[in-house]
Amino acid sequence: MKERPLQVLLVEDNAGDVRLLREMFSKERADTFVLTHLVRMSDAETHLAKGGVDIVLLDMGLPDGHGLDTVRRAHAVAPGTPMIVLTGLDDEALAAEAMKAGAQDYLIKGQIENRALPRALRHAIERFRLQTETDLIRTNQLQFKDEFLSHVSHELRSPLSAIHQFVTILLDGLAGELNPEQRQYLEIVLRNVKQLKAMINDLFEVSGVQSGKLTIDLQCSSVADAIVYSVNTLQGAATAKGIALSSEIDSSLPSVCADPTRLRQILVILIDNAIKFTPANGTAKVRARVSEDDPNFLLLEVSDSGCGISPEMTERIFERLFQASDPALAGRKGLGLGLYICKELVTRQGGQIWAKSMMGLGTVFSVTLPVFSLAKLLAPALKNESDRERPITLIVTEIGSQTGWLADQVRAEQGRGIRDMLRGCLHSDLDVLLPRTGSAGGVELVFIVAMTDRIGGEAISKRIGEQWEVYRHILEAGLTLSTTYRVLEAVQRKPGQPVEDMLEKVADKIHDLMNEESLTRQLING
Amino acid sequence: MDNKKILIVDDDPDIRQGMHVRLQANHYDTFFAADAFSGVAEARKHRPDLIILDLGLPAGDGFTVMERLHKVPFLAVIPVIVVSARNGLGNQKRAFDAGARAFLQKPVADAEFLAVIRQALGEPARIGNYTPHDQGPI
Repeated sequence: MKERPLQVLLVEDNAGDVRLLREMFSKERADTFVLTHLVRMSDAETHLAKGGVDIVLLDMGLPDGHGLDTVRRAHAVAPGTPMIVLTGLDDEALAAEAMKAGAQDYLIKGQIENRALPRALRHAIERFRLQTETDLIRTNQLQFKDEFLSHVSHELRSPLSAIHQFVTILLDGLAGELNPEQRQYLEIVLRNVKQLKAMINDLFEVSGVQSGKLTIDLQCSSVADAIVYSVNTLQGAATAKGIALSSEIDSSLPSVCADPTRLRQILVILIDNAIKFTPANGTAKVRARVSEDDPNFLLLEVSDSGCGISPEMTERIFERLFQASDPALAGRKGLGLGLYICKELVTRQGGQIWAKSMMGLGTVFSVTLPVFSLAKLLAPALKNESDRERPITLIVTEIGSQTGWLADQVRAEQGRGIRDMLRGCLHSDLDVLLPRTGSAGGVELVFIVAMTDRIGGEAISKRIGEQWEVYRHILEAGLTLSTTYRVLEAVQRKPGQPVEDMLEKVADKIHDLMNEESLTRQLING
Repeated sequence: MDNKKILIVDDDPDIRQGMHVRLQANHYDTFFAADAFSGVAEARKHRPDLIILDLGLPAGDGFTVMERLHKVPFLAVIPVIVVSARNGLGNQKRAFDAGARAFLQKPVADAEFLAVIRQALGEPARIGNYTPHDQGPI
């Protein structure tokens, strides 16, 4: 079979080098290579974009492009075309970087042997083809595995649900009285149903983790609420094992920028682990405080008095499918996915996780998460001069609990009054934001409080989006205001109405919604 | 006082029966449908006080059922609770946007199941004559 000639694109500005390379090609049979030569990177980009090039020989110093930049540009236009870079003798380090940036190989000018060039080209093309194929297979396999895991986790839940329904029907005596032995056995079934459900959830999560589809809905979240929830959830399991589970939460804890569901998930995994690996009469404790190392982070600690982890294992435990190898400890614990998922969840939310342990004395898992700061979030929006001319909308969301960010802001700004509080929130002088025009075309300040439930979240978000461009920045920062809304209240300043008047109304709204007199007093009297 | 009526739309007969036993013990009358089409038809026929709706159904899905219910004024007002084996997140949001009152993932803890139903019916938190053994969460 006769192969078609290879289309080679040479991008090189040094006439001497071009002549040398041309000579090398001229020694090959004419029907094996077709050489196109260009001098400028911009011309090379145009040429590559048209397609049909089998391989690029790229100089890394061109009139309109230099170094790795040339490699990246070529790779960007033609990611499916293999590339060999041409470098000088002293540039081997750079050549290595070029390979990371997408080149298949490099040739050092002045050291290219006649016969080596065509071979290098063919090898590069072949290597590229193999790599592309392997990547494709890998992608397909991963995708298949993810779909499979997602499908399996879904399909397993239905029969499990039926088992659960009827076990609890029996346990609740809805089909007649049980004797103690029957009851005990059904308790065992129920416990295993719950274990299975947890494993199925892990399976689903891990499929999301690997395909990067793990959803994280960053919000202003209360760590205290998450701790209370998780400790309540697992209190039963701890008591059953004779373990004292407690929490210690700093009273003035700020909110974090995190997904509240994921936050609870992280804590449940860590507390559940602590209970599993702690013998009877032991303790497990959850603590939360502002990090001493960096006040922009909150530090969560889950400690236990359990068996501990050997020092060389404190990193490995976060690996996928890692299981305790000590048969005395192992028992039946799960899929070895919990800490792996936990680490993914923490790092995707901008935090860190690590473990410190003393064999036989217990383990402390530490998690950091960024403190929520509305000021930081809105700062980019307020930098823009033109935004200051626009009507301003202040969005306040109260998410899921009675002690969300607003209370935090109040605590942080205690003693400075509402105006100062709002100024603090907006990170900019309120007087600048609210020029005292008061007439038509003046300033509008809309105060939106959204609480708890679940109705019409999307519609409200959209409305907020239409009202103020800042919402765009919020979205860009990866934060949604809240996916759950129940109450939408707006306080608007009428033309001529003093700002103070309106702010008092805002305070009234807060009062109504939070139904907490002390807070309102703080707000009004500062 | 007459018992409240609950329509269960789920294609799995075991799940339907399990829910029936649980709900009957809590003094609700139950009706059933096993696909999206009869889900709407049964709702028309019985005018239930509440609908428990699975998402994966033959002849449409839970979302189609909600869509069709919403086109009929006297059906649109019936609270719908989605109980599905599907993964939360996207489906949960879609269900709420389609008008569901709550989204519960199978298997559901009994206490939560009953609490959500009572809330949707505007009933006091506890009217049952027993406390479910499984308080969840599971």
